Amino acid sequence: MTLGRMGLLAWNIARVTFNGNVSLPGFLEHLYKVIIRCLLPVMAVLLPFGMVMSLQGLDIFALYGTQRMLSSFVAAAIIRELSPVMACVLVAAQGGASIAAELGAMRIKEEIDATEVMAVDSVAHHVAPRFLALVVACPLLDMLGCVSGIAGGYLTAVLMNGEPSGTFVAEMWVMTTWYDLLATVLKSLVFGGIIGLVSSYLGYNARGGAAGVGRAVNDSVVYSVLAFITANYLLTSAIYGGIT
Amino acid sequence: MDSPAGTAQSIIELDGVRKCFGRQVVLDDVTIAFPQNATTAIIGPSGAGKSVLLKHLVGLLYADEGRVSVFGTDMASASTRQLYGIRRRFGMLFQDGALFDSLTVGENVAFPLEHHMPQLSEEERWVKVAEKLGWVGLPGFEKRSISSLSGGQRKRVGLARAIIMEPEVVLFDEPNSGLDPLTSDSIDQLILDMKDRLGITFIIISHDIIGTIKVADYIGMLYEGRLVEYAPTKNFIQSHIPVVRSFLRRNIFGPRDSLNQRKQQAPEQS
Amino acid sequence: MADFVRASWNRPPPTGQVMAEAYRIGVKSLPVLLIIAVFVGTNLSLQGYNAFKPLGGQYMVGLFVSMAGVREMAPVIAAAMIAAKAGTEMATQIAVMRIREQIDALEVMAVDPLWFLVTPRLLGIALVLPALTIISIFATLLSAYLVAVWQLGLNGAQFLSFAREGLAPMDLLYCVIKGLCFGIVIAVVGCFFGFKAGRGPEGVGRATNGAVVTMSVVVVFLNYFLSELFYG
Repeated sequence: MTLGRMGLLAWNIARVTFNGNVSLPGFLEHLYKVIIRCLLPVMAVLLPFGMVMSLQGLDIFALYGTQRMLSSFVAAAIIRELSPVMACVLVAAQGGASIAAELGAMRIKEEIDATEVMAVDSVAHHVAPRFLALVVACPLLDMLGCVSGIAGGYLTAVLMNGEPSGTFVAEMWVMTTWYDLLATVLKSLVFGGIIGLVSSYLGYNARGGAAGVGRAVNDSVVYSVLAFITANYLLTSAIYGGIT
Repeated sequence: MDSPAGTAQSIIELDGVRKCFGRQVVLDDVTIAFPQNATTAIIGPSGAGKSVLLKHLVGLLYADEGRVSVFGTDMASASTRQLYGIRRRFGMLFQDGALFDSLTVGENVAFPLEHHMPQLSEEERWVKVAEKLGWVGLPGFEKRSISSLSGGQRKRVGLARAIIMEPEVVLFDEPNSGLDPLTSDSIDQLILDMKDRLGITFIIISHDIIGTIKVADYIGMLYEGRLVEYAPTKNFIQSHIPVVRSFLRRNIFGPRDSLNQRKQQAPEQS
Repeated sequence: MADFVRASWNRPPPTGQVMAEAYRIGVKSLPVLLIIAVFVGTNLSLQGYNAFKPLGGQYMVGLFVSMAGVREMAPVIAAAMIAAKAGTEMATQIAVMRIREQIDALEVMAVDPLWFLVTPRLLGIALVLPALTIISIFATLLSAYLVAVWQLGLNGAQFLSFAREGLAPMDLLYCVIKGLCFGIVIAVVGCFFGFKAGRGPEGVGRATNGAVVTMSVVVVFLNYFLSELFYG
C-alpha cells in the first residue's frame, strides 16, 4: 500500500522530470540550499571519522609494523564505505528531513491543496525540484566527504602522530582505483534517490497538525537511513563481492 | 496610578512597560493597574500586544523598560522561588486550553494538585476535580481523552484546571477565539457564573467586544502597543477616542464582519 | 543549562516517568537499531575482506571487524540511530508542547518544565543507551560472522579467535561510557531544540531537523575525543 503509493510518487516525479515540467531555477535554488545546508555537517562528521580511522588503524598496523599501509587503508575505507554512508546519513538528517519538514508544513497549511486548486501540478512544482536537487547533491557531498575524511586521517597520522607525510600521500592510491570512485558516486546517487523519495513521500502525505510534521521528519530520517543501509549491503556485495 | 477604579485596591500594576521583539515595539509605555476582585478586560485588534501583556503578569516575559509589580513584588527582581510562589496564586486559561494530550481530562485538571498538594489523598483529589468539572458544566468527564473534546469543551477543561488551586487571579487568553458564536456566548456565560461564584480578580484579553462588554467591569484598549483607553465598562462604550469608536462600531454593528473575523482567527483544529 | 542542573538537584526525579521513558526509548529504537547494526556488520566483513585479501590477510577479517566495529562503528551508529529515532521524537514532542502553550501552562502552574520534561528523558536515555550499545555490538559481530562464513567462505573458528583478540573487556566498558555520554548529548540537544521551537508546523519541523543534525555532528566529534582519550 505505502510502497505502491511511493512508487506512484516516484513515477509522477519521473513523468514531470522527463516532460520538462520542472523549472530549472527552482531546481538550482534547492540544489544550492541543500548543499549549503549539508556542507558543514558532512565535513564535521567525516573529518573526525577519518581521524578515528587513523587512530585505530595505527593501533592495528603497529602490531605488525606496517604503518606505511595506513593511508591506503584509510582512503579505501572512506571512499568505498564510510563517506557514502556517513555523508548520506547526514544528508538524510539534514536535507531529507528538511524536505519532509517543508512539504509537511505545506501540506498541513493546505498550501499543496491550494497549488492543485490553482491547476498547478504540485509534484512538478514542489516535490520534483527538491527530490532532484537532493539526488544531485549526494554525489557532490560524498566527494566532499571523501576529501575531508582523508584529510582527517592525514591530520591524525601525520600531524599528530608523526608518520611521514610523503609515505601517507604516496601510499594513498595503492588500493583505491577509478573503479572505487565510480562505485562511491553510484552508491551515493542510489542513496540520494532513496532519501529523496522517502522524505518527499512522508512530507507530501503528512497529516495531523504540527505534530504530524514532526512525525514526518522523524520517520523520514529513520526510514531513509534504514532503506539505504540495506541497499548499501546489496550494492557492496554486487560491486565488490565479485572481485574476490 | 492610572486606575479608573479610583479607590479600589490593585494587586497587579504595570508602570511604563515597554517591550520590543527585535526592532518591533510590541508594548509602548503601558501603565495600568488591575483592580482587585473585579473583572478587567483588555481588548484590541490582533497583533496589538494583548498576549504579550498577559505574559508579563506571570513572568513568561519580562519588560525591557518599566516595572511590573504583582502582589507587591517587582517581577524583574523576583527569584525563581518567589516567581513560582506568585504563579501559584494565579490560574490561567490558554487560548487552546494547552491541555496535555497524553493525560485524560481528569488527570489534566488534577495536575496542579498532584504537584503542589501531594498531601491530598487520591480520593480528596478526585472530589475536587469532580467539583470543578461540575462548575464548568462538564460533570463526569474525568475519563474522557483530550482529543475527544470540542474547542469549547477544551476551554472549559482549561478553566477547571486554572481554578483548581483556588487562585486569587485568573487570566483568560482569548476565551472566545476559535469558537462559533453560540459556544462563544456560552463561554461568556460561564465566565459570569465563575465571577459570581468565586468573586476573585479576572483579567481577560479578547478581541470580541460583545462578550467583553457583557462580562467585564473595566475595559482597556490596546492599539499598536499603546493603551489608548482604560475605563469602567459603561464609560468605555461611550468613549470619544476615534480608534475605540471604530473598533466598537465594527464589532457591534457589523455582525457579518465579526463572524468573518472569528473564522479567520480560528486556528487550525486538526 | 545551569538552571537545569539546579532544578534537577533540588528535587528527586520522577522515578516512574524515568522508567517509562527508558522503556519507550529502548523498545521503540531496538528494531531499527538491530537492522542497522546487522548491516554495519555485514559491510564491515565485506570491506575488511576486500581490504586484506590482496595482502593475503583475509583471515584477519575477524580482528578488523571487532576493532573497527566494536570500538567505533557500533557505538556511533547506535547513537546516531537513537538520535534519529528517540532524540528527534523528544524534539518533536517538546516543540509541539511549546507551540500549543503547554510549556507556558506548566510555568504558570508553577511546575518547572525542565524538571518535568527534561529530567525523565535525560535519565531514561542515559539508562538504556549503554545497554543498546552492547546489544548492537553483538548484533554487528554476529552478522559479520555470518557473512564471513557463508558469503565469503572463511573459517568460522579462526574468525572468532581473531575477533576475540580485538575485543578486550575494557573495550566493552569504553563502549558503555561512550553510550552514556552520547545519550546525554542526544537528550540535551533534543530537548534544547524542542524548547526553542518557533511557531507553527514549520517550527516543529525545523526543530526536529536541527536537532538530528546537531546530535549526529556532536556525537561523532565526541566519539573522536573519547577514542583519543581511551586509545590514543
